[in-house]
Amino acid sequence: MAWETAEPPASEQPQIAGSARDERGAASARGERFGPLAVERYAKDDGRALILYRHEGQAQE
Amino acid sequence: VSELRFNELRGEHVVYAIHRQERTFLPSAEHCPLCPTRPGKPPTEIPFPAFEIAVFENRFPALQAPHGAAEVVVYTDNHEGSLSTLSPQRAQDLMWVWRQRYAELGAREEVNYVLIFENRGVEVGVTLHHPHGQIYAYPFLPPVPQLELRADERLGGCALCALLERELADGRRLVYENDAIVAYVPYAARWAYEVHLVVRGHRASLLACERDELSALAAALQALVRGYDRVFDRPFPYVMAVHQAPTDSAAREREAAGHVHVEFYPPLRTADKLKYLAGSEQGAGTFIADTVPEESAATLREAIARAG
Repeated sequence: MAWETAEPPASEQPQIAGSARDERGAASARGERFGPLAVERYAKDDGRALILYRHEGQAQE
Repeated sequence: VSELRFNELRGEHVVYAIHRQERTFLPSAEHCPLCPTRPGKPPTEIPFPAFEIAVFENRFPALQAPHGAAEVVVYTDNHEGSLSTLSPQRAQDLMWVWRQRYAELGAREEVNYVLIFENRGVEVGVTLHHPHGQIYAYPFLPPVPQLELRADERLGGCALCALLERELADGRRLVYENDAIVAYVPYAARWAYEVHLVVRGHRASLLACERDELSALAAALQALVRGYDRVFDRPFPYVMAVHQAPTDSAAREREAAGHVHVEFYPPLRTADKLKYLAGSEQGAGTFIADTVPEESAATLREAIARAG
C-alpha cells in the first residue's frame, strides 16, 4: 500500500539527456531534473557515484 | 567489504565494517573532505569549486552494492553552520534530495529499507563537522521499522496517526506546529529532549508528500534545531532519523505500512551531562529517564519561541 502511493510522478523519473567526461576526470550526465532540482551525476576516479543538486526554480510536476 | 551476521539471540543483524576504523577523524577545516575543492589545493570528495547540495557514495561504507548502500549528503559548501542555518530555500531543496534518494535507493531490488539520518556533535560520534547527513540502504528490514510495523498491528492501523491524534488531544507535549507538521516530545520518550516531527496527513514516505508538506517539514526541522541550540545556549548534539515506509517486496501488501516522520534523539540531559545507555538500557532494553516529557516539552516550546 505504502509503496504504491510512493511512485514518483513522471517528472521525477531520471531523465538523462546526455553524458560527457568532465574536465576533472569524472564522467557526467546532464539534463536530469527532479522536482525543483537540476541533477548532475558523476563517477569519481575510484568509481564512486557523486550527484550534485542545484535549485532550478519551479518544480516540474 | 562489510560482513553481515545474524545475531540469533537478539534476532537482529550486525554489520561488520572493519575498514571504517580507517575513516577520516575530525580533520581541521583546512583538510575537510566535504568542502569544495579549492584552486591549487588537493581534491576533496567534491571536485568542484562550489556546489549547493552534494551526495556521494561513502568512501568507508558500512553497506554497499549489491548488498545496500551508504551515502553522504552534504547540505552546503559552507564548512560552518548546521541544518538550522541553511537558507529556507536550501532546506526545502534538501527535502527534495531526501525524496529523490529514497525513490532511487528504494527502487533497488536488494534494498528493503532506506534510512536518512544525521549525527550532530562529537557526543554522538561525529567525525566530520561540515554540515551533512547520511543515508543507509539496508538489504534487510532493521529492528526499529519492524517495531513500527508491529505497533501498526497492535493499534489496528497506522500507529503514527493514532499517536499524533493522542498528542494533539493532550497538548502538553507539543513543541511546534505548522500547517502540515506537528512536533512533540513523545508520551514515553526515551531521551530527555526526544522529539518526533510528524506529517499531519497519512503519508507513507516523502514521495507521497505534497510540495507544501515538504516545505513545511523543512521549516519545522529548522525551527526545532534552532530551538535545541537555545535550550542550553550551545550547539545541541543529536541523532536525527527519518522514518519512512519500508521498500521491501512485502511493502505493497501491508496496510498502513509507515507514516513519514523524523525522530530526534539528543543525548544531553543537562547542559553538561549525557544520558548513557547503561545497565538497564543495554542489559534489559528498558530506558530509565531522568526527566518528564511534559517538562521537557515546556522547555523546548520556550526555547523555540526564544529562537524565533
